[in-house]
Amino acid sequence: MRILHKCAPFALGIILSGCGTSPSFLNPASSIAEHEAKLYNNILIMALVVFVFVEICLIWVLIRDRKLKGDDTLPQQIYGNTKLEITWTAIPVLVAVVLFAMTVQTMKSVAAPAASATDINLHVIGHRWWWEFDYTDLRIKTANELHIPVGATVQITLDSVDVIHSFWVPQLSGKTDVVPGQTNRMWLTADQTGNFFGQCAEFCGTEHAMMRINVVVDSQDRFDAWVANQQKPVPQPQTEDEQAGYKLVSTLCASCHSLNPGETETKVGPNIAHLFSRSTFAGATYDLNEENLRSWLHDTQPMKPENDMNLKLTPQEIDELVAYLLLLK
Amino acid sequence: MTAQTDIVVKRRAPVVGGLISWLLTVDHKRIGILYLLSASLFFLVGGLEALLIRIQLARPENTFLSPDTYNQVFTMHGTTMIFLVVMPLAAGFGNYMVPLMIGARDMAFPKLNALSFWTFLFGGLFMYSSFVFGGAPNFGWFSYAPGTEKLYSPTHGMDFWILGILMLGLATTIGSLNFIVTIIQLRAPGLSLTRLPLFVWTMTVTSFLAVFSLPSLTTAVLLLFLDRQLGAHFYNVVQGGSALLWQHLFWFFGHPEVYILILPAMGIVSEVIPVFSGKPLFGYPAVVFSAIAIGFLGFTVWAHHMFATGMPSTTLLFFAADSFLIGVPTGVKIFAWLATMWKGKLRFATPMLFAIGFVAMFLIGGLDGIHLAVVPVDWQLTDTYYVVSHLHYVLFGGALFGIFSGVYYWFPKMTGRRLQEGLGKWHFWLMFIGMNLVFMPMHILGLQGMPRRIYTYGAGRGWEVWNFVETIGAFIIATSIMIFIVNFFASLRMAATNEEDPWDGFTLEWKTASPPPVYNFAEIPSVRSRRPLWDEKHPELADWRVEE
Repeated sequence: MRILHKCAPFALGIILSGCGTSPSFLNPASSIAEHEAKLYNNILIMALVVFVFVEICLIWVLIRDRKLKGDDTLPQQIYGNTKLEITWTAIPVLVAVVLFAMTVQTMKSVAAPAASATDINLHVIGHRWWWEFDYTDLRIKTANELHIPVGATVQITLDSVDVIHSFWVPQLSGKTDVVPGQTNRMWLTADQTGNFFGQCAEFCGTEHAMMRINVVVDSQDRFDAWVANQQKPVPQPQTEDEQAGYKLVSTLCASCHSLNPGETETKVGPNIAHLFSRSTFAGATYDLNEENLRSWLHDTQPMKPENDMNLKLTPQEIDELVAYLLLLK
Repeated sequence: MTAQTDIVVKRRAPVVGGLISWLLTVDHKRIGILYLLSASLFFLVGGLEALLIRIQLARPENTFLSPDTYNQVFTMHGTTMIFLVVMPLAAGFGNYMVPLMIGARDMAFPKLNALSFWTFLFGGLFMYSSFVFGGAPNFGWFSYAPGTEKLYSPTHGMDFWILGILMLGLATTIGSLNFIVTIIQLRAPGLSLTRLPLFVWTMTVTSFLAVFSLPSLTTAVLLLFLDRQLGAHFYNVVQGGSALLWQHLFWFFGHPEVYILILPAMGIVSEVIPVFSGKPLFGYPAVVFSAIAIGFLGFTVWAHHMFATGMPSTTLLFFAADSFLIGVPTGVKIFAWLATMWKGKLRFATPMLFAIGFVAMFLIGGLDGIHLAVVPVDWQLTDTYYVVSHLHYVLFGGALFGIFSGVYYWFPKMTGRRLQEGLGKWHFWLMFIGMNLVFMPMHILGLQGMPRRIYTYGAGRGWEVWNFVETIGAFIIATSIMIFIVNFFASLRMAATNEEDPWDGFTLEWKTASPPPVYNFAEIPSVRSRRPLWDEKHPELADWRVEE
């Protein structure tokens, strides 16, 4: 059994070729995902034992008991066997009890720890089709890209401003639905640094596929530096273009996108105070660089159909906007 | 008896022939055929939709379908296969076979029977007409509120879906009540409930499930309609509604629905395996009881579709425990089928191949389902391709294989001709290979973190290979279906052999002509055991000697 235990996940690992690059909970980066993976593997082994047993019986019967040509004798008429039937009812009941115990145990292991002063408190808000991350204690707001320090306990509350979404970063934790009118809770932790892919897991409309999450797990130092940068107010525009761009942003964009990193109001669009500190945009689906930003500002719809941003900008306005936005690091 | 026959014949006499006679028919066999043919056409449409989905997902960042079109296509694929294919196919076999198997001349309410069919067909066509009137429904067959509110789904697609569902629900309710009354009232003399063929039993349980679960769906969609059209706010959170109300109402129907889809197929398999093994069904009482147990337990597991919605852990554990328990009666059935084949004389004609395929594939759908009932694992796997794999092993490897088993088994009864064995075997093996190529890799994709219902995905996450393999598998399935269509028409063109009992069957439908006359039986048979035809053929080994 012990060998099986070690081999099954390994065999699965081979099947999951590219597992190293897959956002799979079988490649866990947190104790939560690790518990879940262990439970998955244990049940997989149980299921495989049943599967192999039944399919071997089936194939064996099919070969052994096939009707041979010219054999016209009747098979023995067997109507049932009470002892056998009780056995194959009782065994699954016992298995169900074992499964139940395993479920309870893992649920205990992955339950959120009691709140403590060192926790990071995070408010996740689902929008069609992007994620808003509000670090309530740090007075930081960001979008789609979540920074957390390695080893920290992140206590999360989840809300939606529109439809149901589901927050899921497989290598860090299972998913929790983001339900309008109901504040759900979950927690996260990561035991290694790196980038972890996540995605909205509940169908939420046209661009459900383009509502992704990039979790950046940093060392504590780097996280602190990131926080310090995010808390800074936006820089003042210098050149003429930048000034014109700033004007455009504050008139055209500000009703949906806040330039205040500590904004408390939930806006229609992502906070852009430190836009260029992020590596992606539009629901973590496009790399954030000048070229992509320009084509986004030119027309957002081909890049992400049916999103709420509909602007008709002149090439000059785009130049000015980009000049200013590039300052928002 | 003869007097009754005369009445039937008289009633038929003035009916005109040709197409009109099919439009006006109240004969259970003709209505059964109408159900089967309409559902088959919807099956082709739903299958084409599946191919569109697979083409779109064959490559990362494919632009074959626009996001909105993709969402319409997967919504209609699910809605079609569930409401317009598997349910009416079962209703078709039920209509044709239940009266024959219980030795009756027709369903209890022939006109209601016709009403049920035409309501179903109109409901299906109505839903599909949305493609012409400004866009099909696009929020999944589960249509989660509040995404389906007017604010978020402004096209008329959702309204078509709601009204279509109401019509289909009505059709199923009428049909189910008809089955229940027919089976309770019109059984041949001596055919007690304890001797009822398994297919008739599963149709009974299915009918009760439908009658008790559909009101919940009807309520859910009516409230949504009020929200959308009259500004009510049952699901509108901002005005005090509840987003999760929809999910509870929907899944209180939606989970029994799974058993509505699979039980008739289990019934077919429970008919076919004994006949082609030359033995009675092993442990008949336990198999019947397990079907009834599934019927009851089916109503107590709905919230396992909602483990990630933020329910308290006691609630989670209650629904997890019930979901484990429902595996017990399912296991009883699988072991009973195995034991039926044990030491039989197995004949591998196509109906039997599909029945064996059912056992082998449904087992996978049962086992991977355990993972989804285990709450912490479900938190990872729900709403991923793992679920898509699971449900297709149940509904494709299970329900559809069972239905194809029934098609090959009963085709000679309905048409007086057998489907060709050679083509049938090609159909089976290609479909078997194709389905495993499509649905087995979905397990892996789910584990690799691929959510369902996404119209595109990025490269570099290990998802490309498996998606491509699945698309190849989908086309293999499509090929197998084309072989079936060829077989269907080629076999119909063959001269009729009109064998009454081509498979050496056990139950009453094989005791009359193929195809059966309008009145089914010249003389109503009387029954002394579960296998009346076996008794007739082997009086020295008659079942009633054992059963009584």
